[in-house]
Amino acid sequence: MSDLFFGTDLFSEFDRLQRQMANAFGGFPSSIRSGRSGAFPQVNIGSTDDSIEIVAFAPGVDPKSFDVSIDKGLLNISGERGTARPEAAGDDTRTYAQERFAGAFRRVIELPDHADPDKVTAQYINGCLIVSIGKREMSKPRAITVQ
Amino acid sequence: MNDTTELTRKDETAMTRREDDSSPRRITLTPPVDIFEDSQGVTLWADLPGVTKDRLDVKVHDGNLFIEAEAAVSTPAGLRLQHAEVRQPHFARAFSLGGDLDASKIDASLKDGVLKLTIPRRDEARPRRIEVRTD
Repeated sequence: MSDLFFGTDLFSEFDRLQRQMANAFGGFPSSIRSGRSGAFPQVNIGSTDDSIEIVAFAPGVDPKSFDVSIDKGLLNISGERGTARPEAAGDDTRTYAQERFAGAFRRVIELPDHADPDKVTAQYINGCLIVSIGKREMSKPRAITVQ
Repeated sequence: MNDTTELTRKDETAMTRREDDSSPRRITLTPPVDIFEDSQGVTLWADLPGVTKDRLDVKVHDGNLFIEAEAAVSTPAGLRLQHAEVRQPHFARAFSLGGDLDASKIDASLKDGVLKLTIPRRDEARPRRIEVRTD
């Protein structure tokens, strides 16, 4: 059973709030590359015995505009999302809300040493970019026979 | 890859789970929206990543527009989450519609996790030019 999202229990919510507060006041170091929280696209990261799975929640992006690369242990996801505001918007078009992200974006994720840059797949499904990175053979769990 | 829909299933063994987790007052994400209006009506765009057509519910009730959706992302079995910025698969947002909008003619389309709603104005509410007669 896989669980991409956490449950709704109150304790983890408090825990998250506390960490965010700690971050806001500079007490708890976050990755120098992670940027502010709430950056686009949001990213969830999980792993299995064989792979590292990274899901970027990037709806409405032209798949051709994605640039996904791995360099020196860093996974780089960049691209651009256009605005939904109609091109031919005249004076009679009124804007009431513009909360959705528009423009160029970049997220950089530090990969562990056992990530294998030769075994990477990326798929864009329903607005989610799913990047799967294999692990090197030596890092996979194995049972050791006791003699 | 398995296409399981169990991404959000609760782990019964976790000690911090509360028994009323399945209550209807679950925590939901508020999707960001863009809203524009022109002479034809209102166009609303909402970001719903990971949502498919069958997990999206758009309804109008008592002049209010409700958008509810659930994300499902196919992941390999045995996934252990290590870092989560999206912590809920449930999206919900509601708007009240003015009486000049025709809720019965809402058009909805979903592409790449973006919902586009077009809500036309009632014919009688569309702007029209009124001829001024001079006698």
